[in-house]
Amino acid sequence: MAEMAGGAPATEVAASDPDGFDGVRMTWNAWPRSKIEASKCVIPVAASISPIRSFPDLVVLPYSPLRCKPPCSAVLNPFCRVDFPSRIWICPFCFSRNHFPHHYAAISESNVPGELYPQCSTVEYAIPALVSGGDPSAAPSLPPPIFLFVIDTCVIEEEFGFVKSAMRRAIGLIPENALVGLITYGTQVQLHELGFSELSKLYVFRGTKEISKELILDQVGLSAPGSAPTPGFPKGGMLQANGLHPAVSINRFLLPASDCEYTLNALLDELQIDQWPVEAGNRARRCTGVALSVAAGLLGTCLPGTGARIVALVGGPCTEGPGMIVSKDLSQPVRSHKDLDKDAAPHFHKAVKFYDNLAKQLVNQGHVLDLFASALDQVGVAEMKVAVERTGGLVVLAESFGHPVFKDSFKRIFESGEQSLGLSFNGTHEINCSKEIKIQGIIGPCTSLEKKGAFCSDTVIGQGNTTVWKICGLDRSTCLTVFFDISPSERSSQSGIPNPQLYIQFLTNYQNSEGQIRLRVTTITRRWVEGSTNTAELVDGFDQETAAVVLARYVSFKMEMEEEFDATRWLDRTLIRLCSRFGDYRKDEPSSFIINPNFSIFPQFMFNLRRSQFVQVFNNSPDETAYFRILLNRESITNSVVMIQPSLISYSFAAPPSPALLDVASIAADRILLLDAYFSVVIFHGTTIAQWRNMGYQNQPEHQAFSLLLQAPHDDAQMIIRDRFPAPRLVVCDQHGSQARFLLAKLNPSATYNSAHEVAPGSDIIFTDDASLQVFCEHLQRLAVQS
Amino acid sequence: MASSFSPGGPSRPRPGYYPPSIANPSPNPSPASSLPGTMQNLQIGRPSAPSGPPPFLSGISASASGGSRPGPPPQSLPTRPQFQQPPAMSNGPPSIGVSGPRFPTQATLREPTPTIPTQGSRAVPGSSSAGSPANDLVPPSIYNSSFSAPAAGVPMAPPSLVSSPPQLHSLMGGQPSHPLAGGSPSQPLAGGPPSQPLMGGPPSLPYMGQPQMVQYSGMRQPLPPSGAAPPFGSPPVWQQQQPRPGVAPVSSMVQAPPQMFGAPPSPFTQPRPLTPPVMGNSPLAWSHSSTPSTIDPNQIPRPMVDSSVIVFNTRQGNQVNSPPPATSDFIVKDTGNCSPRLMRCTMNQIPCSGDLLSTSSMPLALLVQPMAIPNPDEEPIQVVDFGEIGPIRCSRCKGYINPFMKFVDQGKRFICNLCGYSNETPRDYYMNLGPDGRRRDAEERPELCRGTVEFVATKEYMVRDPMPAVFFFLVDVSMNSIRTGATAAACGAISQAIADLPEGPRTLVGIATFDSAIHFYNLKRALQQPLMLVVPDIQDVYTPLHTDLIVPVAECRQHLEQLLESIPSMFETNKVADSAFGAAIKAAFLALKPTGGKLLVFQSVLPSIGTGSLSSREAEGRTTNVSSGEKEAHKLLQPADMTLKTMAIEFAEHQQVCVDVFITTQAFVDMASISVVPRTTGGQVYYYYPFSALSDTAKLYNDLRWNISRPQGFEAVMRVRCSQGIQVQEYSGNFCKRIPTDIDLPGIDCDKSIMVSFKHDDKFQEGSECAFQCALLYTTIYGQRRIRVSNLSLPCTTMLGTLFRSADLDSLLTCFLRQAATAIPTSPLSQVREQIMNLCVNILHSYRKFCATVSTPGQLILPESVKLLPLYTLALSKSTGLRNDGRLDERSYWANHVASLSVSLAVPWVYPRMISIHDLTSKENNDPILSSILPLSSANLNDDGIYLLENGEDCLFYVGNMVNSEILQQIFGVTSVDGLPTQFVLQQYENTFSKILNDVVNEIRRQRCSFLRMRLCRKGDPSGMLFLSNMVEDKSPGGLSYMEFLVHVHRQIQTKME
Repeated sequence: MAEMAGGAPATEVAASDPDGFDGVRMTWNAWPRSKIEASKCVIPVAASISPIRSFPDLVVLPYSPLRCKPPCSAVLNPFCRVDFPSRIWICPFCFSRNHFPHHYAAISESNVPGELYPQCSTVEYAIPALVSGGDPSAAPSLPPPIFLFVIDTCVIEEEFGFVKSAMRRAIGLIPENALVGLITYGTQVQLHELGFSELSKLYVFRGTKEISKELILDQVGLSAPGSAPTPGFPKGGMLQANGLHPAVSINRFLLPASDCEYTLNALLDELQIDQWPVEAGNRARRCTGVALSVAAGLLGTCLPGTGARIVALVGGPCTEGPGMIVSKDLSQPVRSHKDLDKDAAPHFHKAVKFYDNLAKQLVNQGHVLDLFASALDQVGVAEMKVAVERTGGLVVLAESFGHPVFKDSFKRIFESGEQSLGLSFNGTHEINCSKEIKIQGIIGPCTSLEKKGAFCSDTVIGQGNTTVWKICGLDRSTCLTVFFDISPSERSSQSGIPNPQLYIQFLTNYQNSEGQIRLRVTTITRRWVEGSTNTAELVDGFDQETAAVVLARYVSFKMEMEEEFDATRWLDRTLIRLCSRFGDYRKDEPSSFIINPNFSIFPQFMFNLRRSQFVQVFNNSPDETAYFRILLNRESITNSVVMIQPSLISYSFAAPPSPALLDVASIAADRILLLDAYFSVVIFHGTTIAQWRNMGYQNQPEHQAFSLLLQAPHDDAQMIIRDRFPAPRLVVCDQHGSQARFLLAKLNPSATYNSAHEVAPGSDIIFTDDASLQVFCEHLQRLAVQS
Repeated sequence: MASSFSPGGPSRPRPGYYPPSIANPSPNPSPASSLPGTMQNLQIGRPSAPSGPPPFLSGISASASGGSRPGPPPQSLPTRPQFQQPPAMSNGPPSIGVSGPRFPTQATLREPTPTIPTQGSRAVPGSSSAGSPANDLVPPSIYNSSFSAPAAGVPMAPPSLVSSPPQLHSLMGGQPSHPLAGGSPSQPLAGGPPSQPLMGGPPSLPYMGQPQMVQYSGMRQPLPPSGAAPPFGSPPVWQQQQPRPGVAPVSSMVQAPPQMFGAPPSPFTQPRPLTPPVMGNSPLAWSHSSTPSTIDPNQIPRPMVDSSVIVFNTRQGNQVNSPPPATSDFIVKDTGNCSPRLMRCTMNQIPCSGDLLSTSSMPLALLVQPMAIPNPDEEPIQVVDFGEIGPIRCSRCKGYINPFMKFVDQGKRFICNLCGYSNETPRDYYMNLGPDGRRRDAEERPELCRGTVEFVATKEYMVRDPMPAVFFFLVDVSMNSIRTGATAAACGAISQAIADLPEGPRTLVGIATFDSAIHFYNLKRALQQPLMLVVPDIQDVYTPLHTDLIVPVAECRQHLEQLLESIPSMFETNKVADSAFGAAIKAAFLALKPTGGKLLVFQSVLPSIGTGSLSSREAEGRTTNVSSGEKEAHKLLQPADMTLKTMAIEFAEHQQVCVDVFITTQAFVDMASISVVPRTTGGQVYYYYPFSALSDTAKLYNDLRWNISRPQGFEAVMRVRCSQGIQVQEYSGNFCKRIPTDIDLPGIDCDKSIMVSFKHDDKFQEGSECAFQCALLYTTIYGQRRIRVSNLSLPCTTMLGTLFRSADLDSLLTCFLRQAATAIPTSPLSQVREQIMNLCVNILHSYRKFCATVSTPGQLILPESVKLLPLYTLALSKSTGLRNDGRLDERSYWANHVASLSVSLAVPWVYPRMISIHDLTSKENNDPILSSILPLSSANLNDDGIYLLENGEDCLFYVGNMVNSEILQQIFGVTSVDGLPTQFVLQQYENTFSKILNDVVNEIRRQRCSFLRMRLCRKGDPSGMLFLSNMVEDKSPGGLSYMEFLVHVHRQIQTKME
């Protein structure tokens, strides 16, 4: 009974909330039982999970979870079979029998602990024992969050002004107990000792030389003998220090915000842009790499295992020392996708390697790297991506520190309350699953901890070879994509009546934004589909949105990993195979092709994915591509779908605001369109509307309706912007205006200059040779039915 | 004048005490009350702010008086440092620059003595006109009595030993019975008169001991006429007279001794056949050497101080005069040759051939002190501006135009005196010749009539714009440095010393501190407070800012003072014991790289970390195998490795950074390694060991102040050229050499001296002159590029006797001193001592063999000019550097100090000056107390006496254990010997005794350009032992007594003769 109970609520909730109560969405909700069947499904079996999604009804249990015997260690959950009289529970994963401990003595059918409630497939434990770590004195104070700012000073005065004002605002918003540190860099790295009262003091590191963590600590006088922390993933033990490493001298560099607010502000007042001379025809000498390794080194030994983030404000490419992405000579442009393809980016691999090592160090320490890159040219996000993504850091790409994209996003990370991002630290994510299931890996902001278990698959996708991952920084929207492999072991097939249900348990241990240690346990169950004939069941369990997003993530991943990978072709073939497999048709008769509604918009997703920034990288710089991909990998399915296929809302006098087709045909002279392409939000005024507006009708009282019509998309856009991180770029444009390209690029080119004669008046055309969705679908049908 | 008295000052001064001329100049303006109590010490040398600009500044005002043609005179007429008295004595010495603190006083003291001109050869050269009233006073008995007088307690060597004209001074072994002693009483005293005024103090001075000198010289005056027979007069002897019959009666003028400083040229310079002097026979002289006690110790040659001021003309009537002793007071009139302060040769006549030189066993070397401070009464060095064409130079050897270049062919051509090339006179410079064959304008053009001139350098002489005056201070703030108070002392010193820096935009300063990291400070005015920039990487250093580390002093004075005040407290709790000296200087160098400049480092502990770190070799040396350790001991005086040397070469060669190191330590710092940096960069080491915050703070400040305010130049290149016939063999001193002919001096100042040795590559014609020309291209502190050219032209001789007669003892001593210093790190000590001994013996032997052949072998015969050589050699062999028991650092410092030591300071450094001070009040006020020096023998120390001994660097007060408590009270403010403090600060109390003592000390400071480290030594104490170790005439575990030494030397010579 109990084991069946789980399935229902999950699917029920899924209806209203696409991400479900558990925050788990799968490409297939009914799983083929064999490897062969799974491969026939074309779309990989994968789950997208939001480990710490916030929802109001979450049950928080103020005690430690009960775990199954090792090596299983699954946590007690509603799917466990419980024998109340004998106080025994049976783990659904390994079928071990476990005795309830003494404090569960009162358990009975009428007195069930929270974690066994059927609707509580997701619960959170607030674990007191872990916080105190056996030392009661340390328990009361929660470790404060730590913000170590790394500021680029190789920027023009104007930009630096923006940086300063953004910093001032941030300092005002930072919680009083948060520890703050400051590093500035240009040609050299300056580590500011905020706790030095006599005068402003800073440590200067040269920008050309890579410095090891030990050396940094040695050099700033923090390496007390014997206090070197043991590297590796910090378990409970690291929390003993309660966020403050015994070497108290760290508060020379990291001070509570309340103590150093004045110092910081004074410092910001005096801070100057880099004074080292820049030769004509050269880029400024900027040592981002060393600056970040200094930051990492400082945090590393001072506060291993506590919630700390390096907030890097980068205003240009690294041109000096390790992590350098381009030479100082301006005649050499920053690498493009073309260069990368041709292996003509001399610094790329070296830089990636450097940042990869940095990522490893940060992950070891459990610290986060946030990257705020603001420059007209590239700054090296493509190289730094690895460090940001592995640590679960935030990334914002803007063209100026004065641009709202930067300003609003930067502000968001310090906000508390409802606007808070719920930034949490130090997560570890663990997966338990039924025996037939193996885990290939995770794509998303996490790092494999290389803890091989029975559930590890031989084929690896993303961060694999493990059942435990580190997520240094995570927030409410953080999302991971787990790829599964189905390989029924002999034993499971032997065991007589096979269990029709499969179970997966996601355990996320993290330190929430208040500093408390939490363990989120989500246990889900799905149905096995036996044999190869039961396609209907599979079709019913197909989630085309998730499938599209997973495919997008997978294809992005493959584009990065595999040389000469032709993404468009691969996507086309996948789509064709999928349609051939699940469509109803007669061979070689395209017109006979019909497909289940569960697959109906999937081709359109693919059509848009093929045209999207994720696949058509050549329209973007490597930095932008890296940026888009980081966000694609870490956002929820709903948001990611918008990235692939933007939403379009039309506003007109004729009808209430309503979704419009993502098609050039939706453009009309008397309409306002609101396009949400995730990274940008475009308000597009039809010609007539634009004319009216230009004539100022909205200001006339009798045309209040027009004023409201004009205002409505703006309000909606603001709503979107407010909720989104990073803040999207708002583009307000008029039909035929230059900025209109932001809209046109996303629309289905159903009307091009080739078909111009057919266009209705007031509508628009797109100057492209791209195939329209219609053409695409026709081709698809034809190919799908080919024998 | 009244305004210059600061408030509170008037209560203190006692105008009546000083001659009015002294009382008038600016009083010490800093009343004790206005200074924080902790700085009390510093006030000793606190600059009197209102007392006018620092010396060289005041020179500017005087610069307007320059000749029209030669352009303005040098802006810097350097003076000696003015060490000011403690505040208690508000009547301090005048500090009004040019006029010089004390000199005028002496002048006024001297001038009234009318007897000088009449007696002296100054008035009547070499003549016997002084009459012969005392002819009958000659008997040796009188000699004896006059000698015995000093022996009885008058602290003065027999005057004759220094001033007596004869070139021979014979000493002999104890032969009490020798009958000849009185045999030729009248003979030896030839040619006395000229020297008389020099050695004898003015008779009018009722100074103890002085009358004797007068009397003595008086009685010698008559001798010349009578001395027709032995003009070469035998020197005073104690047991027997040495008749000198063999000397040709050239004339009485021949006997004009080299010491006739003021005298007009005397014919003795003419080539003169050397007649071997005939000595008294004393065949058994040393056979009874077992009885040396019979030698009258008071008759052994000893240095003598003559305190009268001599006017010295460098050339007269186309003749060269031998310069007065380097330690004496003299005023130079540059009449063609440069002042002996600037260049001084080991011999004032040049041997015509190399063979002659090697026969003499004397070295031929020039001691060059290109920026030496002139006497304030001397004419300033003139600046000559040739405009765009630059100074006239020989087109072959590039020698600069000088008075010895001969214009021929109606002035159309001139012949280089250095290489002999005939040059065409540039058209703009043409001038026809007068009847005397000289250019008609010779007297108007300084470059044609002065030994030293300064040319304004043209663009050709610059690779870049002249650099600004940059002073970068680097202060050790490691734990020990903070705890011993060294950091505070350094900061205090810097803070006060920068007040003396010229304000202009060309004076830049910077500061950094270091322990195991280097802390720079951004002093830019715009910043609200100084910004501290830490460079933690001490293996591979860098500069933390591109600009703003070095800022014009005017813009940052306030910040800097504030910072210096807070540094000691800022690092109060510093737990870092390591000190990254090497890395710190490297980092500072990088900061100085764009400009170059002076780097002043205050180091307190062994540099233990970072680039160029050192180990405690001293301790290691002790722990390792003793026998091998002993053998290799000298190796510890070599730099530990090449790191610092390489670094220093980079500093000097490429970036013109001059490093001075102030070592304020209480432990081993490996001086041998550290000192390489200042030595290579033209800098200097100051050593305060064991550092005492109480007693050394004042000296540290005064040293620093003098260091940055003394006349100096930057980015200098120096070359010495000489006539064909000889060539430069080697330069020695503090510099860096890239090419064999030139030396690079990132910094050069008035205290630095460079030794240049020469060797023959050809022969000179007899009667010709050999010229030396030293050209120093440098940038003044005000950013002008100048070439200072000093010329010295000396006659050549073929006569060995002349050579000995013209030998310059002080220069020879300096030369030996440097040779010893160079040898210390490379040879075992005993070998070095032997080597020094051999130098002395060889010279004496050569003289004995070739110039005194007639005398019997039993006699020890010393050439008059170098009669003190044995004493100095003995003193040298007992000096810190050559003593076995010396600490490594001290010996290394000694060697290093010597490397740039000037001649005038080398003498006291080897043979310190000792005076008694318990009887100060009993001496007359105006007496030159400093001339009554005591021989360095413990026999002169009484238990109820207090003695002062100074060597130009240290000043030791020896207090006997029976000293009158009243005197103690007056001088030291304590009532008993036991109450004497271990750390000593000389204070001035309200009593005459104390005042006189302070005056004496201040006079010494002025003479030595050094504030002196004061130490109290008590009898029976380790400190007393320190004092006694300076008693070089005593027999000591490490060496012979003076007497024994003479015997030893004599034996050596005899052995050689056989």
